[in-house]
Amino acid sequence: MSATQNFDAALFGDGPARDERFTEKRRWAECANFPNDHPLKHIEFFHRQMNEEMNGVENAAQSLADFPDADWNVRMSMARQCADEARHVEMFRRIFESRGGQLGEYPILNFQYRIIANLGDLLSRLVVQNRSFEAGGIDAVTYAIDEARKRGDQELVDLFEMQQADEITHVRFANEFVYQTIRKDPRAALQVARALTLASTAFMQVMGSEGVGSVEYLADERGRLEAGFGLEEVKAATTQAMKRRASYGSH
Amino acid sequence: MSLSVQQRAEFVATFRFIQVFLMETIARWVPQTPEMEVKVLFGRHIWELAQQADSLGKRVYELRAPLQFSLRPVESYVQVLEEFARTETTPQKISGFYDVILPGLAARYRNYLERTDHLLDEPTTRVVEKILNEFQKMIKESETLRKELPQLCLADKNWPAHLAKPEVSVPTIVAHRPSAAIA
Repeated sequence: MSATQNFDAALFGDGPARDERFTEKRRWAECANFPNDHPLKHIEFFHRQMNEEMNGVENAAQSLADFPDADWNVRMSMARQCADEARHVEMFRRIFESRGGQLGEYPILNFQYRIIANLGDLLSRLVVQNRSFEAGGIDAVTYAIDEARKRGDQELVDLFEMQQADEITHVRFANEFVYQTIRKDPRAALQVARALTLASTAFMQVMGSEGVGSVEYLADERGRLEAGFGLEEVKAATTQAMKRRASYGSH
Repeated sequence: MSLSVQQRAEFVATFRFIQVFLMETIARWVPQTPEMEVKVLFGRHIWELAQQADSLGKRVYELRAPLQFSLRPVESYVQVLEEFARTETTPQKISGFYDVILPGLAARYRNYLERTDHLLDEPTTRVVEKILNEFQKMIKESETLRKELPQLCLADKNWPAHLAKPEVSVPTIVAHRPSAAIA
């Protein structure tokens, strides 16, 4: 089967540039997906996460370049996000290499950049990048912190806790921007819904049922509240995560 | 000759325009640049440039212009910036930014410090001195990276002159306006 078969081309833009050390794949199933008890599981995750953080830099930078007329405070937040995500790349590179990994050793996915930079307005991009993918990251990191603590891996606990604090800040500024935009023009809520639908469709095409089926964590209610989500939104995220987990569990 | 409040505001607003232009330029380069280490360097420096622009934008308001006001420089300098923004290869982008544009801009900031009264205009002086220190740090970080990854160094050592020559040929960057036109 071709790597891009069943991909809706309209949902994905061009990928970001990568040097010859890296091999990009288009589907989750084509990556090195080790089982949970495999000795390379964590090492591979650091490499994958390092590249996802790179996508974070690339998306924030692209939006900074593409929307010069956006409110200056939002642009400042995006500029800050560029630096934070760049630092995260270095954090994950450091732990990856210190534990024996070599750059480019595993395939990478650039779906976040391909999906987000393909959206034509800043509201849609921030909704998908910060309010959806990064908010999901808050949930995932909370689970990962607990797991690392159980293993006694304090270095990783420290890394994840700092990453999570940064991600909460990124989600918060996007939430503030989204709420302000909708207050000014309630029709923007439709734009938000459309962006989320497009991103969700594209995400499923990349991940496939096997990719999302491996998700074990629930919503981090405290983290999401800190990140500026409303109580109802947090409850909805929790309910959705529980249904998702129950559904995978029954397969 | 001393500078008026409006003239100082024009200098500061022009510097802000340049800082924002540079921030947008290296932001645009991040996804297009293949080397991960360079993306990281640019990603960090986008935030430096943004903070510098922000400080200038707050100072310009204190000089009785609108908050975060930018003033487009003289056309000949805009052409230099636009030529720089069209740079294609990674070694040229790095050299153009850290060896030519930032040092050139630093010289213009120092020229402003020489012209302005440090007591009357102390808040601007403090903003500019901080930016100059940060430029040094940014340039040093680019040099460290080029030492680590020699493939990022220019093969053509004469290339920077191609950008530096028009940069130094623009004696003043501020497009002064009629009195009270920026308020």
